[in-house]
This record gives sequence, C-alpha cells and structure tokens, in this order.
Amino acid sequence: MTSRRLATPALLVSLLLVAGCRDREVTAYRAPKDPPPVAMPAAALEGTNNLPSDHPPIDAGGGGPAAPAPAMANTPVPTAGGTGLAWTAPAEWTAKALSAMRKGSFSVKGDGGEADLSITAFPGNTGGLEANLNRWRGQVGLPAQSPAEVTAATEKIDSGNLQFLLVDYGNHGSRLVGAILPYDGNTWFFKLLGPDALVARTKPAFLDFLRTVKPAK
Amino acid sequence: MNAALRQFRNFFVSLQLTVVLLIMSLVLVFVATLDQVNLGIWAVQEKYFRSLFVLWPVPNTSFAIPVFPGGYLVGGFLLVNLIAAHVYRFRLSWKKTGILLAHTGLILLLVGELLSGLMQKDSSMQLQEGETKKYSESFREYELAVLDKTNADYDDVVAIPEAVLADKAVVQHPKLPFQVRIKEYFPNSTVQMRDANSPSTPGVTGIGARVALIPLPVTSKPDETNVPGTYVELVAPDGTLGTWLVSPALGMPQSVNYQGRAWEISLRLKRYYQPFSLSLLKVTNDVYPGTDIPKNFASRVRVRDDAGHNDREVNIFMNNPLRFGGMTFYQYQMNAAQHMSVFEVVRNPSWILPYIACGMMGAGLLFQFGLSLAGFIGKRSKAKS
Repeated sequence: MTSRRLATPALLVSLLLVAGCRDREVTAYRAPKDPPPVAMPAAALEGTNNLPSDHPPIDAGGGGPAAPAPAMANTPVPTAGGTGLAWTAPAEWTAKALSAMRKGSFSVKGDGGEADLSITAFPGNTGGLEANLNRWRGQVGLPAQSPAEVTAATEKIDSGNLQFLLVDYGNHGSRLVGAILPYDGNTWFFKLLGPDALVARTKPAFLDFLRTVKPAK
Repeated sequence: MNAALRQFRNFFVSLQLTVVLLIMSLVLVFVATLDQVNLGIWAVQEKYFRSLFVLWPVPNTSFAIPVFPGGYLVGGFLLVNLIAAHVYRFRLSWKKTGILLAHTGLILLLVGELLSGLMQKDSSMQLQEGETKKYSESFREYELAVLDKTNADYDDVVAIPEAVLADKAVVQHPKLPFQVRIKEYFPNSTVQMRDANSPSTPGVTGIGARVALIPLPVTSKPDETNVPGTYVELVAPDGTLGTWLVSPALGMPQSVNYQGRAWEISLRLKRYYQPFSLSLLKVTNDVYPGTDIPKNFASRVRVRDDAGHNDREVNIFMNNPLRFGGMTFYQYQMNAAQHMSVFEVVRNPSWILPYIACGMMGAGLLFQFGLSLAGFIGKRSKAKS
C-alpha cells in the first residue's frame, strides 16, 4: 500500500521535472519564410543619421503581441524624394517583391545557391561613405577599417553623367559587391550579396547592370 | 495492518487534514492576491500556485528556502485526501450517489487544473487582413532564432529559449556550422542610439557598434513587458565570425554570411509553428447605431491544413472560438480601422475536463438536494394525512 501511496507524489514530481526541462530545449525545424515587412516605422531615419541606410528605426518599445498594431503603419517612410532612377535587369534575374525600403529587389540564382540584389535610396549622405562601407564589410564578417583605408579600396565606375563607387568584399565563402551613387540629393545603394563563387561570377553582369541605370523619365 | 501504516492511512483520510488544507488554500490565495502588487499576475501564478513550495530567496545569497506549501502540494494533498476518504470511509449506496458524483467532479477539477498547469500553452496570433500565418507567438517568452536563409523557399531555424540565454551558455547544435556563445544577457533592456561622437562598442559587428544596450530592472506591471537583450558571438572552427548585439528592439534581424550560406540572428517572441495555416479574410466591428459601444467583434478566417484535408472559412467572435488541431483560437483584440485582429491561441489537451467536472458536480448536487426535497415533501404529506 505504501508504494501505491508514493506513486502519486512520484508521478507529480516527475511530471513537474519533465515540464521544467521542456523550457530549456533548443529546437530545430524548417519553417516557411516570413513575408517581407509591409511598412516600417519612420522617425529614426531623420536626425539619427548614423543608422545604416537599410535598417529600420530603433524602437525601444519592443512590445508584445498584446500591443495593438503599430500606429506608425500608416506613416510614410522617409525614403528618397526627388527624381528617381530606372534600370534594366538581365532576364535571368528574378524580380522580388518590393518593400518600403527597397526601390529594386532581385534574386540571382546559380550553383544551387542564391544571391540577393537590393537597391535602396535615402536622403542625404546617410551617415557618410566610410560608415556605410564599414557596415557592408561587417555583413560579410570583415572588420571595420579606418576611413582612409576603406575609401582607398573603392573603384570609380562612370556611366553617362553618373559616377558609382564600387566595392568588392569577400570573406568566409561569402561575397558582397556593392555600388554607391550620390544622385539628386539622395544616396543610392546597389548591393549584391551571396555565396562567393556565385557573386564573383555575377559581377560582370552586375557592372553591365549598373551601366543601364538612368534618370527616370 | 500494522500501527504505523494505520496511522499513515488515518492521516490521509482524516477530515482534519481536509480542513487544514482548505485553510492553507485560503491563506495561499490571500497572500498571492496581495503579492500581485509586487510580482504581477504571471509571476504570482508561478510562485504560489504552480509550485510545490513557496520559496523565499535569502537576501544576498542565491539560496531560496521553502516557507509555505505551494498550490501543487496543497492541491495534491487535497486530491489524495479526497480519494482516500472515498476509498476508506464512504460506503456505496444509491442514496449517496449524488455525493459520490459531486466529489468525483471535484477530483476531476483538481486533476484538470494540474494537467492545465503542466500542459497548457497560451500564445497569440496577430493578423492583418489578407495575411496568412502558420505560427503563434508567446506572450512573454523570447527565443534567439538562428535562421539559415539560403534556400529561397524555406528557412532552417534553430531556436534557443531564453532560459539557455540566461545561463550564458555555449550552444553547439548539429544544424549549425558554428557555436553560439551567449556573452551577455539582460532579462529587460532597451537600446539607444549612441551619440555621433561616442566610440562604438569594441568587438561588436553590425548595427550593435552604433547602438547601446542598456539593462533595465525586470518589470512585473501588467501593462509593461520585459524586452531582453543579449550579446552573441558566433564561433566557427576556423575562427570567430563576430559578436552581435541582439535585441527585439532593433526591429530587424542581423545577417552574416558563412561558407556561402546566409544566416540571420534575431531575438524574437517564442514561436509555435502549426501544421496548418490561418488567413484573416475580414474583420467586423459593429457598434450600436449612433454610439461607439461595440456590439460585435468578429473575424472571418480561412483554415487550411498542410495535409490538404481541411480548407474552410470560419467566423471567430466573442464566446465563439475556433477549435482546430488541438488549439483554441479566441477573439482577443481587434483594430478594425487598421484591419487587424489578434487571437489568443490556447493549447490545452485537458480543456474539456472542467466542463465535465462542473456537469458532474451540478448533477450530483441536484440529485442529492432533489432526494432531500422528495423526502421532506413525503414526510410532510404523511404528517398532514
């Protein structure tokens, strides 16, 4: 009878232990992709010009799901004003959905991998050339460089009246080829990021693509 | 039966034990209610009710000593007491069927609460009109999500719960080509832009170099949430990939490429993926004519399971939840102006138990009181005649 008596508390304790352990479990699973964010809050891009250009503003609220939908969903994002640019992409690049930040978005596939080409534009110099180049270096895991070093490693590409600054960063099997273009009071960022071999192979096509960039009519 | 065993049995079947346990429950509920001011409702439930003992942390040490039995212990003893009393004291007779039924209902209620406490998971799902989701999110718990975004069709996710972050652990997962080292963790924090002049955090890659992570005291107020923050280092066999500041307040994951694969790390509300999806088709928010008083909140949703057996449209409104795939979706919040609806998603395999328990107790009491009433009327009519 004693063992029967002990069975209940023993069961209880083991249930509690099992329940306790579950909260510490590292899980792995495959999930469908989240859709790109529909709209981004605005405020931070103005004033705080040391935020990276394609980064949404920082919201200390964080908030749980209990908070109602962000009020700023209706606020326009201060992306670049002024006149726009137009371009022609190669047929084998797949156009992706545009978000509030992206003026252009393409997927370049090959070698079983995928590279992402994003085109964004923001008013002013968005924190300065050096800061943006060091941000790109960070995205492939390269350490930041001094302003002199980082600008020395750029290449000028002329196309009509437009002058791009081109960089090529590779590290740990990843590569980022990017071009920055100041145009009509805005700064435009063309960034191709993906597996090293694929991006290196796509670089000539990317340069040809840059030459198709023209002021929009 | 020897004397010790008899004493043991007598302890568990005694009515005194019942009374003491009921008084203990009263004290527990009373103190817990007062302590809600300090801890908030969630922490109070964990500390007083969903525990074997109420623990008191000894100041300036990491020890905690039990000072009072917790809800599980009191409830567990009540359960054993009730069952033991039935086994040893009650004699089965049809006149006592009602009492037996009511007590069995009570036992079921206690067991149901224990199971709910152990197995129930509450989360929420926020949807915009036209949006489809396959997951709900925890109300309070966060997780460090490491995503392999390389495939165009899906992400491979490794989710590290907050409890592991709190230990500042080193996570080596077979699905990851690098170690995840938690260098710093704050249960509540905020982020702030650094001044243009202030130096960046040494050794931190990405946005973290320009942002300061400021620890905050943990809050327990019902209208405030804790926003954790952490510094995470990714270390590959051929060296470190960098250290990142990760916080939900950044609003966006941080990316790193390694060996040709694109990775993303973010601290997000813990997600529960389901083998089905919910799409929000339309939100309706009717008010009484000429007033702002809400009359009806309703969400029209489409439920589709991955197996393709189910594809239907359902209305969810107050007191009319959707039960699907072992989950219950309650209408929780709504913002009709922004075409947004929030559902509370409850997974509780034992949800039916309280209903059965209340039915049994109701029927038992009805039977018992009916029997007394019949006896009383019978006696009176006999006395009259």
